[in-house]
Amino acid sequence: MLTSESGTSTAEFRPGSGLERWAERHLRFLMLAPTVLILLGLTIFPSVYMFYAAVHKISPNPDLPWEFVGAGNFARLLSDAQFHVALWNTTIFTVVAVATEFLLGLGLALLLDKFIRRLTFLKTVLMIPMMLPPIAVAITWKLIYEPQFGVLNEIMFRLGLPLQAWAGDVNLAMFSIIVADVWQWTPFIFLLMLAGLASLPVEPYEAAALDGASSWQQFRDLTLPFLKPVIAIALLLRVMDALRLFDLVFILTGGGPADRTKVLSLYIYQVAYRFADPGYAAAMSLFVLFVTIILSTWFMKRMRLAD
Amino acid sequence: MLRKLFLTLAIATSALAINGVAWADITILVPSGSEGDGLRAAAEDYAKMKGTKVEAVQAPYANVFEQGANAGATKSGVFDIILMDDPWIPFFAENGHLEDLTAFFKKAGMEGPDSDFLSKSLAVCRNPYNTGPYVCLPYVGNAQMFFYDAAKYKEAGVDVPKTWDDVLKASKMLTENGGGRYFGYVFRGGQGNPVVADFMPIFWSYGADMFNSDRTKVTIDTPEGAAAMKTFMALRDVSPKGVESYNANEVGTALAAGTAASSINWPNWVATFEDPSQSKMVGKISYSPIPAGTKPGSSEIGHWTMGIMSASKNKQEAFDFMVWATSAEQIKISATRGNPPVRTSVFTDPELTSQEKFRHYPVLMEAIQASTPRPRHPKWPEIENAFGIELSKAVAGTVTPEEALKNAQEAVSRITNIY
Repeated sequence: MLTSESGTSTAEFRPGSGLERWAERHLRFLMLAPTVLILLGLTIFPSVYMFYAAVHKISPNPDLPWEFVGAGNFARLLSDAQFHVALWNTTIFTVVAVATEFLLGLGLALLLDKFIRRLTFLKTVLMIPMMLPPIAVAITWKLIYEPQFGVLNEIMFRLGLPLQAWAGDVNLAMFSIIVADVWQWTPFIFLLMLAGLASLPVEPYEAAALDGASSWQQFRDLTLPFLKPVIAIALLLRVMDALRLFDLVFILTGGGPADRTKVLSLYIYQVAYRFADPGYAAAMSLFVLFVTIILSTWFMKRMRLAD
Repeated sequence: MLRKLFLTLAIATSALAINGVAWADITILVPSGSEGDGLRAAAEDYAKMKGTKVEAVQAPYANVFEQGANAGATKSGVFDIILMDDPWIPFFAENGHLEDLTAFFKKAGMEGPDSDFLSKSLAVCRNPYNTGPYVCLPYVGNAQMFFYDAAKYKEAGVDVPKTWDDVLKASKMLTENGGGRYFGYVFRGGQGNPVVADFMPIFWSYGADMFNSDRTKVTIDTPEGAAAMKTFMALRDVSPKGVESYNANEVGTALAAGTAASSINWPNWVATFEDPSQSKMVGKISYSPIPAGTKPGSSEIGHWTMGIMSASKNKQEAFDFMVWATSAEQIKISATRGNPPVRTSVFTDPELTSQEKFRHYPVLMEAIQASTPRPRHPKWPEIENAFGIELSKAVAGTVTPEEALKNAQEAVSRITNIY
């Protein structure tokens, strides 16, 4: 029972009062209200607003009204050469980076789980890159790649190898960005795989060993199927993250040289903020959102079917 | 209404978050670096003297444009003054984000800025260029100069580089003798603003321009443009590997570390080159006007200018501060804080010119007076991006110089609707 400081029951919260009964009846809604409000403010409203912006041509002049263009901004995507370049670069980056991170992460997890399980210190060290802010990682790699003073070219020089313009060479720039991303995010895959391996049941392996199954057979027929849900989650999260790559490209190359590293997030940012065309940028953002939803739905469906 | 409220709140929150919560009489959006630092220091002086609290919100270069554009588009009034790079002026002015200063001058009993300002410095503050009303006042007198290591150039047989042929002659020899660790020339080849900024002076020095005089034609893909591109490619060949990704910092570092002999650069780098804690080249770098091609050389002007945002609630206070901050006395103080001046009296002040660190002033004043503005167009950021992509492709060798000019011509035509 609610009481005042003097110990007497307050009229408003007297048991059985209308207000208390109403509060009890609607308690679940009251408890949910903050979450719903936050979701509305931070997710629903901006999403709806983005749909609204995507079908308008928005002038940077506030005195000019927004012009409804329907699917016009989406039609622009078809003929925008820079968008096509950005889409292609994003695809290349996503496929190569995520595949490399997965193979390395899984390999490292298997290695550490099997041979050096007790070296927790090593596991911690391996996870450090993942903990760093992306901007710090980008600046670190910018210094490493710096053609004249960077440590990488210093090593190349001392080894008598030709110096390279790592982030400035058209043939190396995307590779350099992928290397930096792999360095940062392989530990994420490694961490998930390690957790997956730790939860594997022991009995099937004992039975397989008794049956004379080789290590490779055990890995192929037991480990991989058991790990499938973890692999699915890891790949899904990394693909979604890779599709919105921004920091590394912004700091390391600015999208250059020759547009070789211009990715969708960078182009959307340029269109929205540098070219002051938020309607078109919203249309591109929606495109990325749809691609992400379609990809993740397809992926989840496949994994579930496979299970 | 709702969208305006939402955006205004978002911008106000982010501005305050950058700055720490600080309510002020006047709020100014300024870039990071010496320009913003100088104005922030001036703002503190102003608060002490006049009792008007002036808050300077600092942001990285590109972010200043973005925040200014957002504040203008939403009429948020979160900034009273914006310190703008001069090529942004047409965008801000023609989209109604800037206040026409005519009425404020009249009220103050002035016809306009006084004649002590350099004429080219004032020209950029009028919209349209040099003919329209004043929409800002010049604060930092940036115009590019040619920086070179005189001793190295002399070794290569060039006393003072007067033409691009001189630069190429010296640079080729220095790069050939450099063994891959020393280069005759270095430039900003990074895609977008950097490569365009370093190409435009060469472009102009061969008589090329982006548009014809009455702006009815895009004139990038011309014989003059091709001649400029040929020199630019030759300069690339004597520059360090990786110059395709260089911005101001990389170029400045190469000069200060003594690994490159020459470059086009902005005057605020002089302070770095003359600082023993940051430079191996103290007292060794010489300054000259931009070399000539087939025509006299011309610097790109890149002044930082102060304008009043249309949505400001404190316009008169903002104007008063701008007039005070750009007075001869304050511009001199700003110069001692590392910002190039915009007034003749400061450029020729013996108290400054007698000091070693201001020995570049005569060259800089000449460079400003011989400078050319970037094409005045409200879509300049988009034009610069498109041109920068094609230049970057040429520098990287993925397209021929001829293709780059042709593609740039088409891209700029498409953006401006001028065919």
